[in-house]
Amino acid sequence: MANPAPIRSFLQAAKAEEVAPALRVVQMEGLAILKIIKHCKEFSPALVTGQLLGLDVGSVLEVTNCFPFPNREDDEELEAEGANYQLEMMRCLREVNVDNNTVGWYQSTLLGSYQTVELIETFMNYQENIKRCVCIIYDPSKSNQGVLALKALKLSDSFMELYRSNNFTGEKLREKNLTWVDIFEEIPIKVSNSPLISACMTELEADTPVAQGDLDRLQLSTKPFMERNLEFLMECMDDMSQEQQKFQYHYRNIARQQTQQQAWLQKRRAENMARKAAGEEPSPEEDPSNPIFKLIAEPSRLETFLLTNQISNYCNQINGVAGLSFNRLYLMKALHEN
Amino acid sequence: MASKFWTQSDSGSEEERQSSYDSDPENEEDTPAEPTNTAVGNRYLQQNASDSDDSEEQKRVIRSAKDKRFEEMSATIDQIKNAIKINDWVSLQDSFDKINKQLDKVMRVTESERVPNLYIKALVILEDFLTQALANKDAKKKMSSSNAKALNSMKQKLKKNNKQYEYLISKYREKPESEEVSSEEEDDSDEETVSEPRDDESKVGSDSGSDTDNNIHNRDVHDPDMIKKKDKFMDKEFKKDPRDITWDTVNKKLKEVVAARGRKGTGRVELVEQLSFLTRVAKTPAQKLEILFTVVSAQFDINPGLSGHMPINVWKKCVDNMLAILDILNQYPNIVVNDMVEPDENETQKGADYNGTIRVWGNLIAYLERIDAEFFKSLQCIDPHTKEFVERLRDEPLFLVLAQNVQDYLEKTGNMKAAAKVALKRVELVYYKPQEVYDAMRKLADLSEERDDVESEAEESKWSDEQRAPPSFVVVPEVVPRKPTFPESSRVFMDTLVSLIYKYGDERTKARAMLCDIYHHALLDEFSTSRDLLLMSHLQDNIQIMDISTQILYNRAMAQLGLSAFRNGLFTEGHSCLSELYSAGRVRELIAQGVSQSRYHEKTPEQERLERRRQMPYHMHINLELLEAVHLTCAMLLEVPNMAANTVDSKRRVISKTFRRFFEISERQILMGPPENVRDHVMAATRALSQGDYQKAFDLITSLQVWKLLKNKDAVFQMLKDKIKEEALRTYLFSYATSYSSLALDQLSKMFGLSESTTHSIVNKMMISEELHASWDQPTRCIVFHDVGLSRLQALAFQLTDKLSILAESNERAVETKFGSGLGGGGLDGLPLRRRDAGDYAAAVGSGGGGNRWQDSQSYNQGRQGGSTTGRYGGGGRSFGPGQTSGGGGGYSRDRTGQTRGTSSYGGRHSYQSGSSKMDSSARMVSLSRGIR
Repeated sequence: MANPAPIRSFLQAAKAEEVAPALRVVQMEGLAILKIIKHCKEFSPALVTGQLLGLDVGSVLEVTNCFPFPNREDDEELEAEGANYQLEMMRCLREVNVDNNTVGWYQSTLLGSYQTVELIETFMNYQENIKRCVCIIYDPSKSNQGVLALKALKLSDSFMELYRSNNFTGEKLREKNLTWVDIFEEIPIKVSNSPLISACMTELEADTPVAQGDLDRLQLSTKPFMERNLEFLMECMDDMSQEQQKFQYHYRNIARQQTQQQAWLQKRRAENMARKAAGEEPSPEEDPSNPIFKLIAEPSRLETFLLTNQISNYCNQINGVAGLSFNRLYLMKALHEN
Repeated sequence: MASKFWTQSDSGSEEERQSSYDSDPENEEDTPAEPTNTAVGNRYLQQNASDSDDSEEQKRVIRSAKDKRFEEMSATIDQIKNAIKINDWVSLQDSFDKINKQLDKVMRVTESERVPNLYIKALVILEDFLTQALANKDAKKKMSSSNAKALNSMKQKLKKNNKQYEYLISKYREKPESEEVSSEEEDDSDEETVSEPRDDESKVGSDSGSDTDNNIHNRDVHDPDMIKKKDKFMDKEFKKDPRDITWDTVNKKLKEVVAARGRKGTGRVELVEQLSFLTRVAKTPAQKLEILFTVVSAQFDINPGLSGHMPINVWKKCVDNMLAILDILNQYPNIVVNDMVEPDENETQKGADYNGTIRVWGNLIAYLERIDAEFFKSLQCIDPHTKEFVERLRDEPLFLVLAQNVQDYLEKTGNMKAAAKVALKRVELVYYKPQEVYDAMRKLADLSEERDDVESEAEESKWSDEQRAPPSFVVVPEVVPRKPTFPESSRVFMDTLVSLIYKYGDERTKARAMLCDIYHHALLDEFSTSRDLLLMSHLQDNIQIMDISTQILYNRAMAQLGLSAFRNGLFTEGHSCLSELYSAGRVRELIAQGVSQSRYHEKTPEQERLERRRQMPYHMHINLELLEAVHLTCAMLLEVPNMAANTVDSKRRVISKTFRRFFEISERQILMGPPENVRDHVMAATRALSQGDYQKAFDLITSLQVWKLLKNKDAVFQMLKDKIKEEALRTYLFSYATSYSSLALDQLSKMFGLSESTTHSIVNKMMISEELHASWDQPTRCIVFHDVGLSRLQALAFQLTDKLSILAESNERAVETKFGSGLGGGGLDGLPLRRRDAGDYAAAVGSGGGGNRWQDSQSYNQGRQGGSTTGRYGGGGRSFGPGQTSGGGGGYSRDRTGQTRGTSSYGGRHSYQSGSSKMDSSARMVSLSRGIR
């Protein structure tokens, strides 16, 4: 998804010179949000992505517009086409005087299962071109329950640094003091509308005290949601076990290697004693050419980190939904009693 | 001995020179009628005197033919002479071939091994001419090419040919017409006459050795080198006056022979011959004993290499020698055999009348064990489908006699520890024999004795052949019995021996005896006895640290235990005994009945050889097909209702992994042919059973051919049928309970052909163990089902907890491997705490199961919750076998597996056990035995 982002806003160019202030908030235009929701919901079980356009103003990233990427089935063929499509789209938008400044991308997700290596790779891709970019994640399944499941994410700086060096050993992580929580940073989203739109909306607002969202929120059936969550959670557990096995295997290997090294060393020492006795020069106790001294590469911990993130995400969701469900059930009970 | 014939020049007497191995029927018939001859002038054969009439007759008949042959031969020799004159090597070569052919004919006609002097003469002429021709270089150069070629080939041929007759040729050269040889023999003969009768006496009883000797002779005869050497040796001894032979000479000779042993160029067989000759001339019993020990050990040496076995005839001789040793030992109780101290040089000089103890170096037990090992090896090597194998098996009583005698002797001398060892050897020969085989062996022993009586007469004559050697100076009557005595039943036999071993044996001997005992009990269908023995002896606790052959014995005992449980209708126990054997798919290897091929692991030749050496001989095999059939049938009976009960999450509680795997494979098959092997049959039966078609399942199982190997087959089939019906009912209820709201009892009992009370009790059991959510409606005799299925969410939650516990456990272990060595076992406070919790919990559940005595007769679950929680812990423990653990964690998790296994079996599979504590330990028994190899 190489986005050349050929045109930079003047302001941005100027900003790049200075020390960029930390990104504090993502300000989203109502229009962009609606477009995202529409796109994601229409294709619901399938996962879709799209481009975010907007402006980077100081510590605020404004997302003013967006456009969807066409659904790609066969990556190979349509790769180039996709890039062309993006360029074309941006050109068109520019012609109608819309912000055509890429600030990130959005994607839909299923029950918050987005913490993958691919996401990180995409992020790194974007990051190469745009200093400051975000990923907006929208979860249609969650939104069905009457909440706006919208999230803005970015990778933490320390993580990015580590990722570039591609060194996820335990030691490095400890050095950087990086835990699994520190991979992603969530940025608060602020929805802004122009006063005109606000006024229009107030005008359009029905007199009924409850909106559709409120009704959705009162839905009692949470079972499928919970089940799905549990299933996903279990998958994660399985993956986790696998990762763990990798580590176990690794440790076993290391232990074996150490015993081998010990044996070798002892042998060498005995040899040296004999050599000394014979008045010869002792041979060195290190032999880098010997394969048993080769360091065994530690398996990467990235996967484990992501899985942990994922698991915590699921747990949070389950907790949240369960809490809400209890509330609803008590509410219903009270209503019945009345 | 036989070689003496060679020196005889008189060709006329050849017919009489028939040794017993010659296939002249007439002679064979004659010999038994022949009484043992008294001093006859001719020392070669006793039967000669009376035989002579027959042989005269024979001679007359064939004389013309013989003469003809001789004439032909002399004609050829003339040809040779002519050819020599004209230096014609080509025709010489032809003549040489011709004379060789004629030699065969002559030999056949004269019916002797003796080569006619005429032939030797020809050979000498040829040889002389050859050397002459070779020496004459000029003449050689002048020869035509074909002639030179013929010369060269002649050189080769003659060299090869003459080697055979080297001795005769040299003799011929010494005295061209060797008439005087016979006179020399006459000299010796008086010496012979004195000793002959005594010699016979001493050898009459020692049966079966005779043909052995003959074999050896047969071989010897064709080996001129050996004959020569032996001859020299014998001659030297013969020339002496028997009175001249003193202890010293014998002792010196013995030293000499022993020193030659193992040296290059010393024939092993020949060594044995020399030594056994020495035994005859030994002066004192102690010396005889000493020499006999040397003979036995020399006999062990005859076959080098570890893989091959000792020749059978040598083995038999060896046994005879051992018996002779025992004779001496019993006759002279003052002789003590010991291998601890090197006895005094001249200890053996003390004669029979010496009163003090005489120490002789030797180790009876070691020899006995070696003989046993050789017997075992020979059975391993011989193809079990040949007659040879059966013949060999018949020698078993022979060994038993020896072992019995050795044991008696050792008991008499108070060496009980060694006696226990010998007793173990006897036990190991008998433990695998069911009563019928044991009876057959007893009968065989009796029979062979009778046959020996008859034959001994006949054999005497054969014996006499080699008895031409001087008889022994020390004559020891046969003190020890040569016939085994067996108690009536094999059980009694085992009991007496085993109790002796338990009393005096060392650890290994006891363990092995115990295993043999268990095996034997199991063989006799005494399952509970053998199981109790196994559990009480705690053998399963430390079987891993024993030697491999004991482990094999243990595996065999387990297999037999499983079969026994099956015969007694205890299918659960049967399965738990056998499942361990089948879990790795290496049954053959585990019970040493063949080598299993591993796809991933190539064995080194060394390993393979070792393994081959461990193999059980064919007659000790446990039928593998039967074993497999029993194992799979047991697994089917347990697994089918289990699979029906856990349709949602079939992986959670697997009783038999092997069975599951087989079933999955057979399920995946697209085309289902008629069942062929055991596995196919059981799988087809499984399918039928899971559909509730118990009749078909039963028919399929019983159509297997292997069942005919089963004792009391019909009773077992009856039990099997009942059990299949029961399990079919359970399966049906598991699978279709949800489809019913109520079900009438009589309907159910009709459906499965079970009596109402049985049906009632089965349903009751299921209800109480909460496998079936239902209750009785007594007035209408109906089962009313309650709908209390788990929701999907709940099921998922259970699965999740399973996974969590797995994860937690492996986490613990990961931490332990990382820090375990540094911090020690209890260094991490948090972890042991958790462990303890889990252990306590499991123990609590376990004791709950055991404590409720009133439930024991039917043994119930701890309820749905309890059952599943324990099951979960069990699951956690099971998936990480002890094999995976390393370092400090190992001990703990192994322990834990045992525990959780015990508890999880309370959860479900125990439903039909009477004593739950029993089963707990037997589950443990199985889980602990997993470490074997």
